[in-house]
Amino acid sequence: MSNMITMTINGKICQCEAGCSILQAAAINGLEIPSLCNDASVKAYGACGMCAVEVLDNGSGKPLPKLLRACSAKAVNGYVVRYDTDRVNQARKIALELLMSDHIGDCVAPCSLTCPAGTDCQGYVKQIAQGDYHKAMEIVKEKLPLPASIGRVCPHPCEKQCRRGLVEAPISIAQLKAFAADRDLECDTYRAQCAPESGKRVAVVGGGPAGLTAAYFLRRKGHAVTVLDAAQKMGGMLRYGIPAYRLPKPVLDREIEEIAATGVVLQNGVRLGEDITLEQLRSDYDAVILAVGAWQSMQMGCTGEDLEGVIGGITFLHDISSGEGTRPDLRGKSVAVCGGGNTAMDACRSAVRCGAENVYVIYRRTREEMPADPVEIAESMEEGALYKYLTNPAEILGENGKVKAVKLQVMELGEPDASGRRSPVPVAGKFEVLPVDMVIMAIGQKLFPEGLSGIALTRKGTIAADEATFATNLENVFAIGDATNRGADIAIAAIGEANRCADVVDSALRGAMQPVKQPFLSKRVVTAEMLADRLKIARCQMPTRDAAVRRHDFEEVNLGLTEETARAEAKRCLECGCHDYADCKLIRYANQQEIHPERLAGQKRAAEMERKLECIERNSGKCILCGLCVRVCEEEAKQGILGLVGRGFTTVIRPEFREAATIAVCKECRKCVSLCPTGALKLLEF
Amino acid sequence: MQCECANRSSDLSLLDDVLNAYAAVPGSLITILQQAQAIYGYLPMDVIYHVADKTGSTPAKVLGVATFYTQFRFQPVGKYLIMLCNGTACHVNGSERVAKAICDYLQIDDGGTSADGLFSFSIVACLGCCSLSPVMMINEETYGNLTPEKAVSILQTLREQEGVS
Amino acid sequence: MSYRVVVGQGSCGIAAGAAKVYDVLADALSQSDVTLHIAGCIGMCWLEPIVDIYCDDALAMRLVKMNAEAAKAVADACKAGDLSALVPYAITEEDAAFLSQQTRIVLRNCGIIDPESLESALQAGAYTALSKVLSAEDGMSPEAVIACIKESGLAGRGGAGFPTWFKWNAARQSAGEEKYLICNADEGDPGAFMDRAVIESDPHALIEGMLIGAYAIGAKEAVVYVRAEYPLAIKRLNAAIEQARQAGFVGQNIMGSGFSCEFRVKAGAGAFVCGEETALIESLEGKRGMPRLKPPFPAAAGYWQQPSNINNVETFANVAWIINHGGAAFAAMGTERSKGTKVFALTGKIKRGGLVEIPMGKTLRDVIFGIGGGIRDGRAFQAVQMGGPSGGCIPAALLDTVIDYQALAATGAIMGSGGMVVMDDTTCMVAMAKFFLDFTAKESCGKCVHCRIGTKRMQEILARMTEGKGEAGDIELLEELCLAVKDGALCGLGQTAPNPVLSAIRYFRPQFEAHVMEQRCPAHACTALLQYHIDADACRGCTLCAKKCPVHAISGEVKSAHVIDRSVCIRCGQCKASCKFGAIIVE
Repeated sequence: MSNMITMTINGKICQCEAGCSILQAAAINGLEIPSLCNDASVKAYGACGMCAVEVLDNGSGKPLPKLLRACSAKAVNGYVVRYDTDRVNQARKIALELLMSDHIGDCVAPCSLTCPAGTDCQGYVKQIAQGDYHKAMEIVKEKLPLPASIGRVCPHPCEKQCRRGLVEAPISIAQLKAFAADRDLECDTYRAQCAPESGKRVAVVGGGPAGLTAAYFLRRKGHAVTVLDAAQKMGGMLRYGIPAYRLPKPVLDREIEEIAATGVVLQNGVRLGEDITLEQLRSDYDAVILAVGAWQSMQMGCTGEDLEGVIGGITFLHDISSGEGTRPDLRGKSVAVCGGGNTAMDACRSAVRCGAENVYVIYRRTREEMPADPVEIAESMEEGALYKYLTNPAEILGENGKVKAVKLQVMELGEPDASGRRSPVPVAGKFEVLPVDMVIMAIGQKLFPEGLSGIALTRKGTIAADEATFATNLENVFAIGDATNRGADIAIAAIGEANRCADVVDSALRGAMQPVKQPFLSKRVVTAEMLADRLKIARCQMPTRDAAVRRHDFEEVNLGLTEETARAEAKRCLECGCHDYADCKLIRYANQQEIHPERLAGQKRAAEMERKLECIERNSGKCILCGLCVRVCEEEAKQGILGLVGRGFTTVIRPEFREAATIAVCKECRKCVSLCPTGALKLLEF
Repeated sequence: MQCECANRSSDLSLLDDVLNAYAAVPGSLITILQQAQAIYGYLPMDVIYHVADKTGSTPAKVLGVATFYTQFRFQPVGKYLIMLCNGTACHVNGSERVAKAICDYLQIDDGGTSADGLFSFSIVACLGCCSLSPVMMINEETYGNLTPEKAVSILQTLREQEGVS
Repeated sequence: MSYRVVVGQGSCGIAAGAAKVYDVLADALSQSDVTLHIAGCIGMCWLEPIVDIYCDDALAMRLVKMNAEAAKAVADACKAGDLSALVPYAITEEDAAFLSQQTRIVLRNCGIIDPESLESALQAGAYTALSKVLSAEDGMSPEAVIACIKESGLAGRGGAGFPTWFKWNAARQSAGEEKYLICNADEGDPGAFMDRAVIESDPHALIEGMLIGAYAIGAKEAVVYVRAEYPLAIKRLNAAIEQARQAGFVGQNIMGSGFSCEFRVKAGAGAFVCGEETALIESLEGKRGMPRLKPPFPAAAGYWQQPSNINNVETFANVAWIINHGGAAFAAMGTERSKGTKVFALTGKIKRGGLVEIPMGKTLRDVIFGIGGGIRDGRAFQAVQMGGPSGGCIPAALLDTVIDYQALAATGAIMGSGGMVVMDDTTCMVAMAKFFLDFTAKESCGKCVHCRIGTKRMQEILARMTEGKGEAGDIELLEELCLAVKDGALCGLGQTAPNPVLSAIRYFRPQFEAHVMEQRCPAHACTALLQYHIDADACRGCTLCAKKCPVHAISGEVKSAHVIDRSVCIRCGQCKASCKFGAIIVE
């Protein structure tokens, strides 16, 4: 046929009718040449510069000297075109860097960015606001299979970055998660589909949050996963480190059941090095993930630590938390808990519950500097714990080999250190003696390296794992969580590693290991002044059992949020992350290149929010001036309601109209919103 | 670009002759806007709406065209519109210092109008009188070979003519 | 013996006081038989206002730098029939050489004929070429006209230098009932004003050239797009079109030939990008002047989507001469690849600035030093800027570059529309590059990413260099951006916007390095980089500088050396201007 053109695009023979642009020719043949300003429904425009292509052969053996815009250049017989050459990529990269240097918006909300596991807080909070807890769980479980548990115990770094905090107080993200997870566990629990069986086998050593999470996601990806754990039950620190008054074990059991329901095989009572060796695992499985945790309490290094009555925090909590053994009877006893973190809180509050008469928290700095969750501190005080700030155990005094008292060095705060915390310095010669029967050392944990022969350790004594692949020195052996690199951290950090590790292991099992890559994201700075117009709404208060009652038992302290409170709380969310992140072409293209827009940093246009059309919100900061909305409004909808205003760098797109009827037209049409390649246009509920 | 005077009402009948002559002629929008500006001194929003109605266009399109071109203004201007050339030759010959002197004298910035409403000042692209650089135009009169002192004295003279001291 | 007094009244002449001179003469000569006329611009701008006295149609005397008092003397002398008293006002031989070294085709009548009089134009030969083309007996076919233009080698004078015949032929060959001929008189390059001068001084030359072009491509409508900043040009052009219509040169059935062509003048509204032909067409259609995607090219689908041809004023102003003298006569001038003459607007730190028309093939040195008389105030030549925001700077080492399209392009500058801004050693080339990027960033239409954001970022980098905030790597980043914008921008404005920066870096890299690495401006032009201090030996302690300093940065006792506090100093230079002893040192 004479009116057909045959050309080659990215190595593929493409046919199209004469008169087609190269972009159309590619599309007809199933190839997507990147473009931000083009759409089949409107005329070609040529603004974005994304669709640059290189003609390597113009049909007579010669390359064309200039790059072409595929949206306007016509398909020509015999052309050999590529849109992935170095030159094209370089041109596209600079165009994207320029666009991004003038793009004001948050792809992802600061809460999600801060969450070590990258949970989509904004996403599930929105579902909670709408009362769809099942959907909320679908979102949560993309990153975290233990939401009811983690929602209860997580110190929620997300909330520290929550922008609602600039208005009055952050959203109660963790409690909302627990609320929704509880609801979803009650009935019709969300269960993700697993991919078809891959035929690959993975062993996960350690059934704590890291191990369970890695197992869950690898199972979802279609692999046969077995979790091996030395303890009687799965859960790791969630079970044996966190007291039941914070995390009732039936909740944890229920979530582990859900993980098992995906097909993960759980084997308890299997201790690495004793019941099975790493070598065996390596030969029996295609990959091994070590998630063994850090189960040894650190020692202070002061005299008297070997006395009877001195106990590590983790050891102290182990039996109490699980409810598996007997609880110590501390009635009439005085207990000193050394440390200021959450383990110290768990230990002191557990000691109170075991009947101790006096429970002291020994901490070298002041309350301001304590790393523990402020709520925990406050609740422990309500329950009667006594705080000895600015003191440090200098010596544990004993009698007949048993603890009798602790000698405390009085401290004062000196200059701030590199991290900004004021470091405590001893006040020379000032001591205090505190008579106690028990000393709990809650100053940190470390790996107990059993059964890890052949695994390279760091100087800190943790497993050395690659930051981007979690790979250890042994082939096909990966390591995550408290046992690795920097040592113990919060559960959600381990879960984040587990999730990313599952991706890496999956890619490795499928033939080509892909290291974890941080995606490029657009971020903006928001100040309290910018949110000054928001109505202040108080943060919800979690109802708790009375301190005088709860200090005697291990029942859950928190009573849970009511649905009404939870939904009202969720509605406070400012929705900082872009609604269009998942579909945004700009960010998709940006992540296809290695872009560094910060080198082109300069003035940005003002980010104005405009809602003149009532049903559409326009954010000029995210607008890339591709003009699609203006053109579709004129060419396709035949309305001409939108227009470019101004010229050059400061151009903005605005609706301009006089008749109220226009708004009704827009409510029906909405073509502009669907064509916007970024999140500059947002459909409002009406 | 949209000004506070959007709600002020202009005498739209003044535009009748212009619209009668050009509204039906395709491609005349810029001409109509130029003549409207000659009548009103700037382009009030109600005039923009009116022109859109009468030319079968839309307000968004008319505003889009008007804001594209530097000639169009959306605020009333002073009786004397000072346009200081910032062409290459004027720049090389010191138009920046002239601009500063004018701004200091009138106590306004580029694009502003003096407190007495007499002068508006804008720095514009080349006026094409390069050999007399630096150059400014006040209304349709051109003044060349400016120095900061000379520019200020021209403004002083105009002020005196207007009886303002 | 009868005298005719002619006052040059182009925009610049008027700005220099020609109108006042004319008024005085009109008043003084009202009762005499001495006739008074106006003319356009002769191009000797530094001598304005200029008055020519003709005696029996021959130029008797050219008087320069006239004022009201001198005008009275002219009137008196003419009435008395004795011009000897006017000798002190007469042009010097040296200044007159400015004209005699030129070859004037485009400017043939400029400053000589009365631009407001058709009769004056006809006497100078206007419309003879048109009548030759349209003649019933031995007229020329459109193809013959195009062939003649092809033989002449005439190329677009707007900057790109595309062969005129080729565009005409393409438009002629394009199928279409309605075709349009458009004149681009949106002379936006800062530093160029030849098109204004031609329209103000010889509008019929443009109209005639356009009529011949319209005939050649088959257009029935011609449109002139003139900058709104040129009110006098618009006025004279409109008047000339009306005169031509009255005389039967414009309108239906021109000179009885059956060829019809209507004329319209459209005033631009202030947008440099409208010099780009597709943006110009958008603007003509009453839209935002944003460039279209090419293809299609205007020759196929331009104004109202019809075949259209666009040339600039200077190109059209050559056409009648070529028809009258033949393509070969035009091609005889110039170089192998660039034919005919080119008009330049010579400005900046030049002794004799104005309009210069020379045959292609002369050197830059011929123009700047030969005709322009070199640098004024005894300073050293540093560079000449050609092509405005699309062009570049040419350094002293390349002054012997021959003026033709290719030779100039090889330097990194371009022929451009003919702006030639001469710079001495007090001009900072970094600041100059910033000046052009200020311009293009401000004039970018905003459509394509590379130009909208790219020129803005380039401007910002240059701005921080001139403010002493440049960082290592900035020069390389700037070069990278330049190449990306050159390659990626949609239209000519964006594609050429990096040229001034690239050529400045190419020839003056040490100046860039001094700004970035040492926070130093070698030309002492970037005020933020200057350091003022007082030479203690030269200072007499007169206290004048301390009194003048607006921020009280200078202190010292009477009759003892003063000191400038650099942390307070705002580098305004008032101290230096006030010091009578040269004690203020700037580094």
